[in-house]
Amino acid sequence: MTSTTLTHRHIASRTAVALLGGYVFTWGLIALGVALLYSAGMEFHDAEHLSYIVGLLAFLLAFLVAFAARGLRRVALVLVGGGALMAAAASWVQGLIIAAGA
Amino acid sequence: MFANFRHTMAWLHTWFGLALGLVLMVVFFFGSLSVFDREIDRWAIPDTRYEPQPMPSFDKMLAPIFKDMQPDAAARAMTAPLADGPLPERFDTPRSWGAYTTHRDPVLLLFAGYEVPHAKDHETAIWANRTVDPRTGEALPVDRLKVGSEFFYPLHYSLTLDWKNIGYWIVGFSALMMLMALVTGVIMHRKFFRELFTFRPHKSTQRSMLDLHNLTGVVALPFHFFFAFTGLVIFAYIYFPVMHTQLTPLHDRHEQLEAKETGLPHDRAGVAAPLASVDAMVAEAQRRWAAKGMAGDVGYLNIQHVGDANSYVSVYRAGTDRVQLAGEGIHFKASTGELLREDPPPTVVARINEFLTGLHLQHFKHWLLRWLYVLGGLSGCACIATGLFFFVEKRKRHHAKQGVSGARIVDALAVTVVTGMLVATLSMLIANRLLPDVMPAGWPLRGAMEKTIFWGSWLVAGAHAYLRTAAVAAGRLAPAWREQCLAVAALAVAAPLMNWITTGDHLLRTIGSGYWPVAGADLFMLAGAALAVLAARKLQQRAERPLAVKNVALEAKHA
Amino acid sequence: MPDALMLLAALLACVLGMGWFALSMDVHWAQVRGDAPRSPALAGTLRLLGGAALLLSLVLCLTVDSPSIAVLVWFMALAGATLGVAFTLTWRASILKMLVFWTSTGAR
Repeated sequence: MTSTTLTHRHIASRTAVALLGGYVFTWGLIALGVALLYSAGMEFHDAEHLSYIVGLLAFLLAFLVAFAARGLRRVALVLVGGGALMAAAASWVQGLIIAAGA
Repeated sequence: MFANFRHTMAWLHTWFGLALGLVLMVVFFFGSLSVFDREIDRWAIPDTRYEPQPMPSFDKMLAPIFKDMQPDAAARAMTAPLADGPLPERFDTPRSWGAYTTHRDPVLLLFAGYEVPHAKDHETAIWANRTVDPRTGEALPVDRLKVGSEFFYPLHYSLTLDWKNIGYWIVGFSALMMLMALVTGVIMHRKFFRELFTFRPHKSTQRSMLDLHNLTGVVALPFHFFFAFTGLVIFAYIYFPVMHTQLTPLHDRHEQLEAKETGLPHDRAGVAAPLASVDAMVAEAQRRWAAKGMAGDVGYLNIQHVGDANSYVSVYRAGTDRVQLAGEGIHFKASTGELLREDPPPTVVARINEFLTGLHLQHFKHWLLRWLYVLGGLSGCACIATGLFFFVEKRKRHHAKQGVSGARIVDALAVTVVTGMLVATLSMLIANRLLPDVMPAGWPLRGAMEKTIFWGSWLVAGAHAYLRTAAVAAGRLAPAWREQCLAVAALAVAAPLMNWITTGDHLLRTIGSGYWPVAGADLFMLAGAALAVLAARKLQQRAERPLAVKNVALEAKHA
Repeated sequence: MPDALMLLAALLACVLGMGWFALSMDVHWAQVRGDAPRSPALAGTLRLLGGAALLLSLVLCLTVDSPSIAVLVWFMALAGATLGVAFTLTWRASILKMLVFWTSTGAR
C-alpha cells in the first residue's frame, strides 16, 4: 500500500479538509436544519435532535468524500463554502422568526 | 487520495483505525463494564450491598435532607471563578431539587442546584449532591468512590479528562472514526457473506487475526455502528453547541413560549410559597399512569423554583420496560398539588431520538439484553485488538529487515491498551479492597488514591510493555504479552479473593443468597483469569514454534 | 418462568438459523460433513430453514418484551449465535451434524 505521491503534506491537507471542512459543513447543516424545521412548525427540540442526527451522518459522509474525491480544492470549497452559506442562511431565518414573532 | 477508491478506503481504515483504535479500546472496554456500573459500585462499596428500593417518602425522608444539602468544597472551587464576587457561606435559593432511582441501584442519588449570586452568566448554577440509603435516609460516608458509575463510566465517555471538555472531544472524534472504520471496513471486505463464519486459527497469525477481526466486526456490525452513532447523538450539544451560540435567540424564544404553553413557569415569581405534600402528588402520578395502562415506578422526581410561588413538581416514570428513558412526566403546582400538565405522547421525532439515546443509556430492566450488550462491547474490543495484532504481524518482519521500529512501537502500545488496561482495572479493584476506610491524615482521599493506583499501574504496565517488546524489532513475538496475561490472571484471582477476605462475601455465600451484583463481578473476573491463563499457554506454544521460512504479508484489501 | 424459556427458545432458534445458513455454504458443509455430497436443492432448503428459524426467533422475542426491546434482543442474539456457530465450526464442527440429521453420509 505504498504510493510515491503520498507526502506528509498531502495527508495533512486531506485530513484538515476532512475534519475542519467537515465540521464547518455540519455546523451549517445543523443550524439551517433547526432554523428551517422550526420555522416550518416543528417543535424546537425535535428540530434540534433531527438536525443533529442528520448532521452527524453528513459529517461521516463529508469525511469520506474529502479523502475519496479527486480534487481536494473543490471538496474544500463545497464543505467550507457550503457550510458558511448554510450558517448564514440559518441566521437570516432566525432573524425573520424573531422579527415576526417576538 | 489514491487513484483506486478501495485503496483510499483501506488507507483510512488502517491509519486512522490504528491511531484512534488505541482510544477506542478504552472507550469500548469501559463501556462494556459500564453496562454493570451499579453492580461494580456494590462490589466496591460493601456498605451498599442490599436490594434496590422504591423511591422513599419525599415528605418524611427526602425533604429534610434536601434542606440540609450544600455544595462541597470542590464544587465551590469550580464555581468561584464564574462569579463576580465571593460565594455566599450558605446557598439558600435552590433552583431545583432532584432525586433519581434505578431498578439496579439500592442507593438514592439526590442533587440540588442553586443560583449563584453575581454570576457572569445568569444560567450558571452550583450543584450539591448526596447519596443516601433509602431505607433510613442516612448518607453514604463521604469518601466512597463509586468505582463503576463514577469512574469507569466517566472514563468511557470522557476519559475523565475534564479540562475544557477535552476528553469528550477525544472520545467524540474517536467515535466518528469508529463509524469511518466500519464503513471503510465493509468496503474493503470483499467476502462479507462468504466469510461470515470463517475463523482459521491454525493458519498463519496474520490470517487468523484477520479472520477474527472480520468476524468480531461483522457479527456485531449493527451494535458497533449504533453505539458509536448514538454516543455522538447524545453529546451532539457539546460538539455542535449551535443552540447556545449562533441560535441562542431562537432557543431563548422557544423557552419562553414553551413556559407559556405548558403552564410551567420559566422563572421564579419572587414570592415565597410553601411546598404541599409531594407524596400525594407522586401517588396521583402513579394513579394516572396506571389508568393509562402503564403502571410504573417513579424514576425521576424534580422540583423547580424551590420555595417560590412558581414552583412545580415533576414526576417521571422509570423506563424499565422499554428502551426509551424516563417519560410520562406529570407536573403539579408545588404549593397546592394541583395538576398543571400531563406530558402529551411524544412526537415521531421525539420517539426516534428517545429510542436512539435510550438504547445507548440502558435504563431498561432486561438482564439478557445487558449481557448481550457486554458481548457486543467485548466483541468490539476484540475487533480493535485483532486489528492491532494484524497491523504488527503484517509489518514486523519487514520492519526488522529494514531496522525500523514502527511495528515494535505499535506492539508496545497494543500491549499497553489491551493487557495493560486490564492490569490497571484489576489493580484498582484490589486497592479498593486493601485501602483503609479512612486514610491517615495528610494522605489523599481514598477515592483519589484508588484513581492514582489505576493510572500508576497502567503506567507501569506501559513501561513493561515497552521494555519487553524488543523482540518485535527482530521480527519475533514479544514476551510482554505472555507476561502481562499471567499478571492479569493473578490479579483477576486476587480481586475476588480480597473481596472474600475483607467482606466475607465469598462466592458460595453470594450465589447462595442470590446476590448477583457481587457474585457476577467475582465470576466475571475468575472467568477472565481462566481466559488469561489459556492465552498465556497459547502464547508460550507460539513462541516455541520455529519461525516461518517464508512470510507473506497479507494484503488486507484482498482479504 | 415462561419469559426466560421463550428467550432461551429465541436464542436457540437463532443458533439453528445461523447454523443452517452456514451449512448452506460449501466450505462449512465440508467442515461438518466431510466428503458427503450436497445437492443444490439442499443448499436452498437450508437457507430457507435458516430464514424461518431467524423469523421464529424474532417472533419469540416480540412475545416477551415491548417491540423496542425485542428488536435489540434479536439483533444481539444474532450476533451471539453467529459467533457461536463460527467457533463451533472451527473447533467442534461435527456437533453441527445434528442440524442436518436427515441427510445421508454419502459414499464411504
